[in-house]
Amino acid sequence: MTAQRQASSASQIPHLSPAELSYLYTSLSLPGTPIRPDGRSPTQFRPLSAETDILPGTNGSARVGFADGTQAIVGVKAEVERTVLGVQALSQAEQQEYAEGNEGADGGAGAKQGSTSGQGSWVQMCIEIPGFRDDDALPVFLSEMMREPLVESVSGGEKDGDGDEGGMVGGLKGRLVINRRWHWRLYIDVLLLSQPLSYPLPLLSLTTHLALLATKLPKLKSKGEEDPFFDDDWNAAEYLYPRVRTTRASIPGSIHKVRPPVTLLVISVAENIVFDPSREEIAVADTVLAISITYDTGSNCLKLLSIRTVDPPSRLTQPSVPNSENVATLGSTAAAEASAIINPSTGEEEVSGVWRPRRGGVKRATIARMVKMVLEKGGVGEEVLDGLEGVEVG
Amino acid sequence: MTDRRRINGPSGGTRPPVFASSIKSTTTATERPQRQRQPNELRKIFLKTGLIPSASGSSYLEFEHSASLSAARALPKSLIPPSSSLKLACTVHGPKPLPRSATFSPNLVLTTHVKYAPFAARKRKGHIRDASERDLGVHLETALRGVIVAERWPKSGLDITITILEAEDDRWWGDAPDSHDAAWGMMNVLAGCITAASAAIADARIDCLDLVAGGVAAVVVDESVDGGEPSTPRLMLDTDPAEHRSLLSACVVAYMPARDEITELWLKGDNSKASVGTDDKSLSYETLIDGAVDAARGAHSVLAEAVRESAERLAGLETGYST
Amino acid sequence: MPLDTSTTYPLTKLRLDGRRWNELRLIQAQISTNPASSGSSYLAMGNTTILCSVHGPAEGRRGDATGGAAGSSGAVVEVDVNIAGFAGVDRKRRAGGSDRQSGRVASTLRSAFQSHLHTYLYPHSTISIHVSILSADGSLLAAAVNACTLALVDAGVPMPGLLCGCTAAMSGSASTPMDPLNDFLDPLLDVSLPEEQELPFLTVATTTSVPGRTDEDEDDKKVAMLTMDSKVHYTYIETMLAVGVDGCKQIREILDGVIKGSSQR
Repeated sequence: MTAQRQASSASQIPHLSPAELSYLYTSLSLPGTPIRPDGRSPTQFRPLSAETDILPGTNGSARVGFADGTQAIVGVKAEVERTVLGVQALSQAEQQEYAEGNEGADGGAGAKQGSTSGQGSWVQMCIEIPGFRDDDALPVFLSEMMREPLVESVSGGEKDGDGDEGGMVGGLKGRLVINRRWHWRLYIDVLLLSQPLSYPLPLLSLTTHLALLATKLPKLKSKGEEDPFFDDDWNAAEYLYPRVRTTRASIPGSIHKVRPPVTLLVISVAENIVFDPSREEIAVADTVLAISITYDTGSNCLKLLSIRTVDPPSRLTQPSVPNSENVATLGSTAAAEASAIINPSTGEEEVSGVWRPRRGGVKRATIARMVKMVLEKGGVGEEVLDGLEGVEVG
Repeated sequence: MTDRRRINGPSGGTRPPVFASSIKSTTTATERPQRQRQPNELRKIFLKTGLIPSASGSSYLEFEHSASLSAARALPKSLIPPSSSLKLACTVHGPKPLPRSATFSPNLVLTTHVKYAPFAARKRKGHIRDASERDLGVHLETALRGVIVAERWPKSGLDITITILEAEDDRWWGDAPDSHDAAWGMMNVLAGCITAASAAIADARIDCLDLVAGGVAAVVVDESVDGGEPSTPRLMLDTDPAEHRSLLSACVVAYMPARDEITELWLKGDNSKASVGTDDKSLSYETLIDGAVDAARGAHSVLAEAVRESAERLAGLETGYST
Repeated sequence: MPLDTSTTYPLTKLRLDGRRWNELRLIQAQISTNPASSGSSYLAMGNTTILCSVHGPAEGRRGDATGGAAGSSGAVVEVDVNIAGFAGVDRKRRAGGSDRQSGRVASTLRSAFQSHLHTYLYPHSTISIHVSILSADGSLLAAAVNACTLALVDAGVPMPGLLCGCTAAMSGSASTPMDPLNDFLDPLLDVSLPEEQELPFLTVATTTSVPGRTDEDEDDKKVAMLTMDSKVHYTYIETMLAVGVDGCKQIREILDGVIKGSSQR
């Protein structure tokens, strides 16, 4: 059974016949203007509805529903935890104290230095998908894929923007530090409410993005190295991703200086690049890439945080048999058989209308084109982030 | 998930007492290992196939010790080794019929299983696969599925099991855990897994499009020799995370040289700082991918040699039977 | 002063959240929330929030143990309960996918709805119910029953009447026999989480065998499910049960309104 589970790790293989797959592939690979089954343009996303702060029992929550009925709910909970210092860090601190004791001078600034950056393990992500155990390959892979850019997005240029309102020193990890001995632990629980109809990555990523934007942490009342003590007033709580009240945000039209990353799913079919693929489109994709991006605070443009290839399910599909090899029609239609053509993207000989499971990998040029479409000014990445900004948060 | 069947050590690890008087003497002795190789020079790879007779294909892969490690072995200053080098064993079982209960599959069903030995890393790994091990398994599966000509074995399964005997460090052991805590070592492990699995699959005589090899490249920032200002970011191939103060971004590819195609790409890290700092786009993701591909090309030459040996061994076996 | 019901209730005759003994919490419900399923519902009883979706009746999975023999005479009801990690006050660490509480709720729901629905109409098929508990604040089982009922109505699965659940507790430990002359303990309707942890309580679900005769015909009311796992003197059971059954009746009217309201839209 585990073999079967893992085999479907990339996505469930839809039950499409080779003829249907071939038809889909042909229409999606039309040069320049792919025809998608639902009539969208290559960069168009499916319509979705979103709301935030739906669960009062969490620090932040969001719900996103696609029009096809798949819904995801994300709840973020934060807990205060004691920081366990590593052997070396501790001995360094002790050494410092020892040295300070000898000199009889105070060196608080030096001691503070070591703890300003947080640890990636303080952010935990757990994805629940109906029909999967939470240690199956798909939820684990998805959560690692989404957690990785999240803990890594150390915002650039924090050196000069230290005292700047709305800045985040050391990225999300740095924000979780309370003081040297205490930190926040962030649990991000992602709940997919129904069996995924397509690869659920875009849905989960958008929902997590919104939930993190809505997340609030209680206001700290204690100072410095005291044991943390918080304001009871929930209205005084501060956003995890700080907001800028004035209009001088670095991102135009945004109240956030730093925003969580989003992960986009991009597929390539022959020479075409298609965003937000539906289940049928993924089934015929040559390549599936998950690309995580966020705004760079320094230069006000998008930056790349991670790329991962996702196993395209087209490799597992059933091949069809060309007429020339089909025993049932042997001889009768051999003359009508179209001649073999070379697929420009795979370099393999193909007979048009005959489905072959995809083999091989992706050319570097294709990857570069996909990333460029996401990152370029006025590209899809900006469009998505601007769209998310439109969602009323908090 | 917790392991309830065995008596496990404490989860956080224990800490021996360190006496203040002893610190001063030891700190001078422990220094971060320095990279002795050129930026585009790979570590030597030992790769041998057919070590496990019960499996239909197997391979063993080992990276050369870094210079500092061999120096420390010869002249130990501390009980803690300064760095570690990858050692892993890969077995391939199959193609074999799928179990009766499994649904029909027109293709070869690939199962990958990556497991660290409990003693592989500096922190003990449990007996149950954790999230990072499962994650590696999915990456490996993606890398290999594009290479295997799967429709030649309908209704059959192929199990690939990798045991990691010694893993790469994520950072120098002397650094605080928060200095750069992303799992950079995992990327080297994945590259090794891909190369070893490719050799083992060839050893099991499974049809492939090409020999796929794994390679790693990273953009690193080192402290300069006198330990002051960090230097400008540079692109390095086959990085050992223990040798660098911080890695900005890293990339693994599974690369097929004959087709010039990538079956698996895993890039992570924030390399905007690198390109901002140097004011050119020469350290963009594309350079990083190209670097990883170059590293994979290097690993491919070792791989081809190992596969040739494997083929010769088989040829020798067959002539041995016939005479 | 400890803030618990058994000390404050006798003084104020008010419960911790300010309700009187016979008041329900605010119930908000909605049906057809998820277009991807056959039927779905959202139900909030106070701070207990539940989403429920129903798939089916559909052909059961092949190779499933229950698909063959057990399902031949009627549909098989499958219930899957998922308590979200963020549902409680503290984030719960889940060990291996499911815990005891969700397993118990699931099996109780399964047996309640298996016997309640007209399953004989759908031989060889499966009705699968997925319950997600987003926020848990007491009366989990009762709220889950109500949410499932709404979702099953939305899916159009035939049933004799609405199955409605409610909880009832005593405002003290109630370990001594009830004194009919000088009784200081009141039954409490629809318990919240702090009350549930402190007081003895039971969960009851009732149904009517013929729909539309909820008011006039008291004889048709049936108890479909009754669970209690706390200690109470037997003399109090009758009181608690009476209050619980009355609560079910109130809830039935609310759910009835939700269903009628959504069908008019």
